Amino acid sequence: MGIIIAVISGKGGVGKTTTTANIGLGIAMNDKKCIVVDFDIGQRNLDMILGLENRVVYDMVQVMDGDVSIKQATIKSKMNPNLHFLAASQTKDKSVLESEKILKLVTDLSAEYDFVILDAPAGIESGYEHTIEFADRAIVVVNPEVSSIRDADRAIGILDSKSQKVKDGSEVLKYLIINRIDPKLVQSGEMLTSEDILDILSIPLIGKVPEDRGIIDSSNQGKPIILDSSSAAGRAYSRIAARLCGQEVPMENVEEPENSFMQKIKEMFQ
Amino acid sequence: MFSFFNKKTSAKTAKDRLTIAIMSDRQNSDAFPFMDKMKAEIIEVVKKYMGVKAIEIKKEVEDGVEALSIDVQLEANA
Repeated sequence: MGIIIAVISGKGGVGKTTTTANIGLGIAMNDKKCIVVDFDIGQRNLDMILGLENRVVYDMVQVMDGDVSIKQATIKSKMNPNLHFLAASQTKDKSVLESEKILKLVTDLSAEYDFVILDAPAGIESGYEHTIEFADRAIVVVNPEVSSIRDADRAIGILDSKSQKVKDGSEVLKYLIINRIDPKLVQSGEMLTSEDILDILSIPLIGKVPEDRGIIDSSNQGKPIILDSSSAAGRAYSRIAARLCGQEVPMENVEEPENSFMQKIKEMFQ
Repeated sequence: MFSFFNKKTSAKTAKDRLTIAIMSDRQNSDAFPFMDKMKAEIIEVVKKYMGVKAIEIKKEVEDGVEALSIDVQLEANA
């Protein structure tokens, strides 16, 4: 059975969908079979970020309703054959989600894939609750910014009360991704540090992603930035994907600006 | 630049404000997984002896001591 991971954020606009696309592709690049499912019904976006918007024929609601099979509805990425995608419905609203059907969908998917990544809708409404209900693990994406962190804490609270695993007396593993870190602002004391955020949310860190201007360009083209090894954010997502696949990758200090004085000194000793 | 050493940074302010806001959010959320079940059980126990209209359970923290406050509202002619 594959691992079911929900990617959640609380607040919208923190880079959750970008993160889902990148870690999905990153896992596939680690030779694991991975499917990413867009649970943001009515507001599908993941297809654009993955460059698959023109190939969507069927969506996950049609699969859940039994109108089409998983095989018919999944789209294979051209970027990596291990990566498959299941689109959100654009026309229906979030109320179409039903626990029983979701359980069947994710169970069927986890029988076929090593990783099933669910892109949860922002907010903490029913669409969110349904996405996390049957997840084994959750990746919490935050920005180093007060409203994002506060909303993430609420989302984590709901995860702990609505998750089937928790109801069964088990635990949902949670990992934190701090996204869009601006090293200069952290250095000048104008942005929360990773340590601050970890103190507040107290869930384990799985990666730090620096702010990267290349993200816009990669979204424009529908090519996740993880494909660009010259990008700092791309490398950060690669490390996160490797960690999710069980590799030990040391946490890099993205908060130190590139070409900083300290970095030059460190390089001298390498 | 030297103001850095004697002025509280805005990141520190953010951390302090967040710590307090989240502590209060957590107290007020009824995010205990067992809350609904516990409520139902308490109602059952009280109902053996008198009529119950509603019940409210809140987690409170005062001076670092955590407490559960349970408000049981009785029926008018109980």
